[in-house]
Order: sequence, then structure tokens, then C-alpha cells
Amino acid sequence: MMEKNNSGMKKSNSENKINRRKFLISLGNTATGIVVLGGIGVTFEYLTPNVLLEIPKVFKIGPINSIQPNSVIFEPEQRTFVVREEQGSFYALSAVCTHLGCTTKWNDIGAAGNSAAVISCPCHGSLFNKYGEVLQGPAPRTLDKYRVQLEDDKLVINTGEKVSEDEMILKV
Amino acid sequence: MKILNNLAKTKFWQSVFRTKLPLSTNLDRSLVIFNSLTLHIHPVKVRLRAIKFSYTFYLGMISFFLFFVLIVTGVLLMLYYQPAIPHAYRNMKDLEYVVSNGSFLRNMHRWSAHLMVISVFLHMLRVFYKGAYKPPREFNWIIGIVLLVSTLLLSYTGYLLPYDQLSYWAVTVGTNIVQYIPVAGKEIRFLLLGGNEIGEYTLVRFYVLHCVVLPLVMILLIAFHFWRIRKDGGLL
Repeated sequence: MMEKNNSGMKKSNSENKINRRKFLISLGNTATGIVVLGGIGVTFEYLTPNVLLEIPKVFKIGPINSIQPNSVIFEPEQRTFVVREEQGSFYALSAVCTHLGCTTKWNDIGAAGNSAAVISCPCHGSLFNKYGEVLQGPAPRTLDKYRVQLEDDKLVINTGEKVSEDEMILKV
Repeated sequence: MKILNNLAKTKFWQSVFRTKLPLSTNLDRSLVIFNSLTLHIHPVKVRLRAIKFSYTFYLGMISFFLFFVLIVTGVLLMLYYQPAIPHAYRNMKDLEYVVSNGSFLRNMHRWSAHLMVISVFLHMLRVFYKGAYKPPREFNWIIGIVLLVSTLLLSYTGYLLPYDQLSYWAVTVGTNIVQYIPVAGKEIRFLLLGGNEIGEYTLVRFYVLHCVVLPLVMILLIAFHFWRIRKDGGLL
């Protein structure tokens, strides 16, 4: 009974003063908050894998003499088109559609009213020319171009390194 | 009736059922409902028109029944399914062609899932056109929306599990859509896939979401949804 009266009086006297009860409540809430936040953080870390057994970003193709002029090699693992044009110029194009990530297909004879070679996506009908430029939506941007380098007589393609149109072609 | 009355007098009966039989007053009758966990989701009183078919088309109950069918068939399917890339597709094929009544169970799961999406959607339409989202029922409407989204997520996560071409590309497209979420899109996609591409981790993650996380969320929210119907004044 005494306690009840005391706390009642204190409350009416000083609403903002920190008494033992308020202090312990805020201490408890803070501790709980820290534990909850920490728990969320730890869980997110746990859900993010540290080791991924994914396909390597860098791959080799060649020797370049065996790649015919005006031909395309499709690497299904890396989802990449490696193209050789007539003049011994090479480039590598991502086969991943820029719309929603389906694997596109290279059509040498053209499609949908285009007589030249086109790259088409089976999922939502996007169409690209052989340099990956969008001919027809819904793809929002050109296909990614990867850096191609010559090492001995083989091409080294790094799918982790995207390059601009000016840098995409490797002349040999 | 006499046997039932005698049974109701036994100590066993009285330890299970809290209400004393026989019932003589309306208070006794309502206590049967109040005192039972399984019955108390029913209202003590209902308006006669609320149980007419044309009033609700029973859409909520149909959805719940389909959810129940999905739980039962889903648990049975789990016994022949391993969520790992070398096994998933083969297990699904085995369910179709090798396991006794496997294709029946799988089809039941599949069709119930399709029907549940339809019935949940129709349920939402009915509630909307009846204006049943208005106060005091607005919070139950929100729970309903979360239940609709959970239903769609359950459909989507279940779609990957057969691990055929259709599932692979559907999940590729779906997770690429997730990528367009502002700020955290790429991170959410990475967490969902457990990597940059669909792989072993993705299959397990979708499996756990489909079989544990989302059904738990559904069960808790359905219980709350039903309870709120009663507290908000019954069906409308």
C-alpha cells in the first residue's frame, strides 16, 4: 500500500524526472533493442553465402585460327556469344537478355522482318542486332559487352568486366 | 441420447469438455462455443442471411478448405521429394510415374493451388464489392491483403520445386523483376537466390519458404483473420 501511494505521488509531482522504474524500463528496452537488431544483423549475414560454387567469370576460347570468320560461338555455361568478324576482329556479347534475364538465341538468317543476323529472346520477344543493340523491346538497353583479350593464341573473355562499344572489338 | 447423457456424466468427458451437459438454457448453449478452442472461431449467434450461399458464396471457407488440402497433400509430397538439383526433377518424375497414387497427389496439390489463387481473389472481390473493408473491418482487410500476397508467394516458390525448364526460367524472370525494387533490389535478389544465379542454394531456399516459412505465416494470419471476423461483428 505504501509503495503504491509513493509512486502515485511521485508521478503527479514530476512526470519527466527519471526514477528507478523509468530507468530500468528504458535500460530493458535498450538491451532488447540491441539484441533484436543484432539478431537481425547476424541472420542477414548468415543468409548471405560466403562461398559460391558458381561458374568462373573468366574463360578461354581458341586457338583463334580454328574460329571461322563470320562465325559465332555460344558458350552456354557463361551465357556468352563470342563473335569473329571477317577482318579478324573479335568481340564477346552477353547472351543474357537485358529485360528479365532469359538466355537469348543467335539467329544467323534473321527473324521478324530482319534479313541480317539477329539475337532474339524467347521469353518476351526482345530483338537485338549482332552488336547487341535493341531492335525491338521490351529490352531496355543493349546487351552487355565483355572485354576480350588475346593470350598466346587464345581469347580470354572476362564476363566480370563490361566494356563500352568503343572498346568491345579486339583486332588481331 | 441416454447413452450420451450417461457418457456426459463420466469424469473423462467432464475433464475434456468444460460445459456441463445437458444443455437447458441459451447461456449453456453459448458456453459450449465459448469454452471450446476449436468451436470458438464460430460465432455464438449468426444472422440467418449470413449463412446463405448467395451472401458470401462461401469463398473464404473454400479458400481455407483448399489451404487445408494443400497442407495435407504437400506434407505427403515432401516424403518423396529432396530439394537438391540432382534429385528434384527426378523425384518429381518418380512421383508422376513410380510412386503409387503419386500423380494423383501431385495433381491434387497443383489444382488446389491454382484454385486457391482463384478463390482467394474472388473472395477479395466479394469483400470489396460488399464494402466489407470499411470500418471497423479495415484491419482485417489488410490482413486479407497479406494473405493474398502470401498465397501468391506460395504459388511462386512452389513453382521452382519441380526444377524443370519452366520453373527455371520463371524464377529467373521473377527474381530479375525483384531486382528492380529501388535501393535494396539487388541485395534482395541475392538473398533470395543465395547467389548470383539460380543454384543449389536457391532450390533449398525456395523449398524452406514454400514448406515452412510461408505456411506458418499463413496459419497464424488465417487464425487472426477468422478471430477478427467475429470481433468485428461477424460476416458482412
